[in-house]
Amino acid sequence: MSLVIKDLHANVEDTPILKGLNLEIPKGEIHAIMGPNGSGKSTLSKVIAGHDDYTVQSGSVTMDGEDLLELDVDERSREGVFLAFQYPAEVPGVSNANFIRAALQARLPKGEELDAVAYYKNLYSKMDVLDMDRKFTARAVNEGFSGGEKKRNEILQMMMLEPKFCILDETDSGLDIDALKIVAKGVNAMRSPDRGFLIITHYQRLLDYIQPDHVHVMSDGQIVKSGDKDLALELEESGYDFLKEGELANA
Amino acid sequence: MSTTIAPMNILETQPQTPAAFPAWFSDLQQQAWQEFLTTPMPTRKDEVWRFGNLKQLNFEGYLDEENTQTEISTPDLPEGVICLPLDQALESHGELVKEHFMKRETRLGSAKFAALHKARVKNGLFVFVPDGVRVEQPIEVRHVLAGDASASFPHTLIITGKNAEVSVFDHFSSANDDDAGLCVAVNDLIAGDGSKLTYCAVQELNLTSRMIQVNATTVGRDAHAVAFTLNTGCQWARNESISRLDAEGAHSDMLSCSIPTGTQQYDQRTYQHHAAPHTNSDLLYKNTLFGTSKTIFSGLILVDQGAHYTDAYQTCRNLMMEDTAEANSMPGLEINADQVKCSHGSTSASISDEEIFYLRARGIAPRQARRLIANGFSVEAVERIRQERLEELVLAAIDRKFSTIS
Amino acid sequence: MSYETTVDPVDAIDAETQVAIDVDRAKGDFHFPEKHKFDAGVGLSSDTVDYISNVKDDPDWVRAFRHKGLETFLNKPMPTNWATKDLDNIHFDEIRYYLADGQKPKRSWDEVPPEVLETFERLGVPEQERAFLAGVEAQYDSEAAYSNVKEELEKDGVIFVNSTEGLKEHEEIFRPWFGKVIPTGDNKFSALNSAVFSGGSFIYIPKGLKVKHPLQAYFRINSENFGQFERTLIIADEGAEVMYMEGCTAPKFESTTLHSAVVELVAMKGAKIQYVTVQNWSSNVFNLVTKRGIAHEDAEVRWIDCNIGSRLTMKYPGVVMKGERARGEVISIALANNGQHQDTGAKMIHAANHTTSNVVSKSISVGEGRATYRGQVTIPKHLKGCKNNTECDALMINANSKTDTYPAITVRGNQHVTQHEASVSQVSEEMLFYMQQRGISEAAAMSLAVNGFINDLVSEFPMEYSVELKRLIELEMEGSVG
Repeated sequence: MSLVIKDLHANVEDTPILKGLNLEIPKGEIHAIMGPNGSGKSTLSKVIAGHDDYTVQSGSVTMDGEDLLELDVDERSREGVFLAFQYPAEVPGVSNANFIRAALQARLPKGEELDAVAYYKNLYSKMDVLDMDRKFTARAVNEGFSGGEKKRNEILQMMMLEPKFCILDETDSGLDIDALKIVAKGVNAMRSPDRGFLIITHYQRLLDYIQPDHVHVMSDGQIVKSGDKDLALELEESGYDFLKEGELANA
Repeated sequence: MSTTIAPMNILETQPQTPAAFPAWFSDLQQQAWQEFLTTPMPTRKDEVWRFGNLKQLNFEGYLDEENTQTEISTPDLPEGVICLPLDQALESHGELVKEHFMKRETRLGSAKFAALHKARVKNGLFVFVPDGVRVEQPIEVRHVLAGDASASFPHTLIITGKNAEVSVFDHFSSANDDDAGLCVAVNDLIAGDGSKLTYCAVQELNLTSRMIQVNATTVGRDAHAVAFTLNTGCQWARNESISRLDAEGAHSDMLSCSIPTGTQQYDQRTYQHHAAPHTNSDLLYKNTLFGTSKTIFSGLILVDQGAHYTDAYQTCRNLMMEDTAEANSMPGLEINADQVKCSHGSTSASISDEEIFYLRARGIAPRQARRLIANGFSVEAVERIRQERLEELVLAAIDRKFSTIS
Repeated sequence: MSYETTVDPVDAIDAETQVAIDVDRAKGDFHFPEKHKFDAGVGLSSDTVDYISNVKDDPDWVRAFRHKGLETFLNKPMPTNWATKDLDNIHFDEIRYYLADGQKPKRSWDEVPPEVLETFERLGVPEQERAFLAGVEAQYDSEAAYSNVKEELEKDGVIFVNSTEGLKEHEEIFRPWFGKVIPTGDNKFSALNSAVFSGGSFIYIPKGLKVKHPLQAYFRINSENFGQFERTLIIADEGAEVMYMEGCTAPKFESTTLHSAVVELVAMKGAKIQYVTVQNWSSNVFNLVTKRGIAHEDAEVRWIDCNIGSRLTMKYPGVVMKGERARGEVISIALANNGQHQDTGAKMIHAANHTTSNVVSKSISVGEGRATYRGQVTIPKHLKGCKNNTECDALMINANSKTDTYPAITVRGNQHVTQHEASVSQVSEEMLFYMQQRGISEAAAMSLAVNGFINDLVSEFPMEYSVELKRLIELEMEGSVG
């Protein structure tokens, strides 16, 4: 699969956030987007997922040639777009097991029932990869979870739903090094020639464990610089000050 | 207050508006008198009087005399600030008074007595702070009730202009311990856009007196109003407090401490009315009950249709100091909008043995320990006044009350 | 009351969401032609009461009780000073107060008239009886059509009969408690019930007997312009335990139907009574019910209450904790959809030392539905160590729904602990987006959220019990309905 974003402009209310963003992620590749706070990184993830608060003014987002912007949030998800949230919402009273099951059931044709035995077998094997306790299945989605548990839960859902294209929005924030390694393990287990990844991060840290094919720098609603994984290291060392100094010529 | 009028029975004699007052005010008082006469007395069937003691509403024989001494002390007032006794304000700033004087409906049960107040009011305070002007220190008003079976109807009207700031301290006390006074007070607090208005009432009337206090606060866009009431005096006091959040960003803090002892009864009714979206109200009422005293708290949060993104909180806490005290709590919510965060909570409990033990283990005598804990319980509400001088005045009144408790 | 505000009529929520969060109301919406041998006619008078007494061949004390009830009813004003004005839309002179075919309740389904059998079969009652019930009473309009209890329970001394049989055949147990937990004059509707009651259960569980399987009553209204007034009295003797479940449905008629029951529970020393209700009346029913239990020393009374149907429900189950260490509990779920007002709550009266009460109420207002919680907790003087905990949470599904909470807590003395908490929230947009991003449709996400809200209370209901509740649970299990 490939994700292609062309000249994307998007607003929150009347404020433009994305201002002509171009990005192409061919199948099998991992792309990282870095950038200072307020550059529009999280907005990009929400726009791809289809959040109501953002209105697309112009441009296109296509996955394997299909126009994503025409679809509702849940339709995009069923087409294969997955967003691992920076701040996953709590769903009180709904257990993790039932939640993921509902999401899988939604992908089946009408009238077809999910095989419960196979489902639990699959769920437990994925939980083992992420080093998650079995009790976790009975807990309400994200309710009372620590930061690390929430992020692991995001990765578990990603592994269960087997999306075509994954966006990880600041998945490394709030994680200690052990949790970070586990999360990376899950993501790496998902790497496949048919799957694309967009990793949004503020720090280079996560990229030590998940090696990106390309790194992009985002500023003021646009990609201003692109490079290979070394760019992330460069940024870690010298920061984003270059953005201010007008050194955008080599972008 | 130089005019002397022959004493009049407050329930029977038609009030006479002083000749110096504007004609509109005289008309208003006559209308109010008719309203008083035609409004029925509250009955047991009225939800707003549930658990209430209707016998306390017998005001037979009270006279409308001019015995109350009202003293206003003002800090250095910036230019443009008007701070006058109400009678003078009526003469010099009649239009301004007219615009705001008792414009809001009394909806918590005392409409009849608010009408009586309106018909008979002659004294009180008028404060107007123009746009952008800040008065740093509080204006302090002291009402001293005197004369047996003498009724008083003080009114407080405070208006803040845009981004203005003011705080007012209203103190009620009796000239002696024996005269059975009646005080029917009404205050209108109008907080203009972006302003900060703090009002603090301390009621320390003698134990034979009764009081009805009706408060109506209106909070404008991005304005912040704080209304605090301390009750330590009276045989019976009823407080009705309404805060209406009129425009986005309005914030209202409604606070109260009551420390009834002996057979004292306090009946408090509150109303947090969210009439606009993105408004915020926070109510904290704390009752510390001794002897065979009784408190009633009845609160309502009303969120109008369309008043989305409202945050409203309401908490009533009762500290039961003795086995013979009675606390009634009726925390209510009426929500007609979506995307609101509202909650209320009410608790009744006593000081635990462990708490007392802890203080005793630090060498504090049991009686002192109880007093310390009870005092700390009240302080939580006092601290939220967030005006040093006002907090000082309130804490001093709380100390005075505790010093009477053995 | 003076707080009353009006809500403008507005568009309903979208159809798909409605279906997803709605429950199966169509199931009970059918009726058969009336075949009544006895019909007290339209309207209520002294003659109506005598007619009922004559048909039922009441003993004199019952006839006198009924007439006193009528007098009290007529003298009491409508409680519209605090309750909704919608009560004024009940036209007592247009209601039929007694309709029966003159048959005794049958002990076998085979003997039940075919259309009555078909009714209860469609509602799944005989099937549930076979599956997990210890006894069933099935009431059709004013009288029970079927009543049966498992033989071994009968041998153990369990009495499970309708109220008419109870007051005649078991007067020595029945009469001392009848009308004592809820006096005739408790409220206007308890007085009305006292005047015209018919049907309902009388249950006695002997000392020490713990009935393993639930007993069930099903109340069915078949006729139009009808009022159903069953009367239930359950006595659990010392150390006994029983769970009683009631279900109810009615077809949807154009005119209003009235259901006004009185339920009295008596838990003797160390006894435990659990009373489970799943109320799914059609949306033309005024459901005005008085329910109260007395818990003696170390006894426990639990009301587990789910209100889904009716036009207006007013019901505040209560527990009078009369003996030391008695416990009272109300677990309540209410779903108020468009055009519905669920006015429910709890009354906890502490009357002995070290008594404990707990109230957990969750309401969901959908569209223009209105949910109200009214609570009363009283801890009087000279008691020690009483505790009350009350939690009420309201969930609002649409900008036009309405929810109110009016608790009243009276505590006397310094040796008690009471705690009341209430909150109002809604399914947040953030939560919906999160669920939708996982591929779950908006409607299914909404139903997941709603079921999540009440999940912990649903587990208090017996799993097998009701079709209605099962559906609510299924929504949670399967998720993607809609």
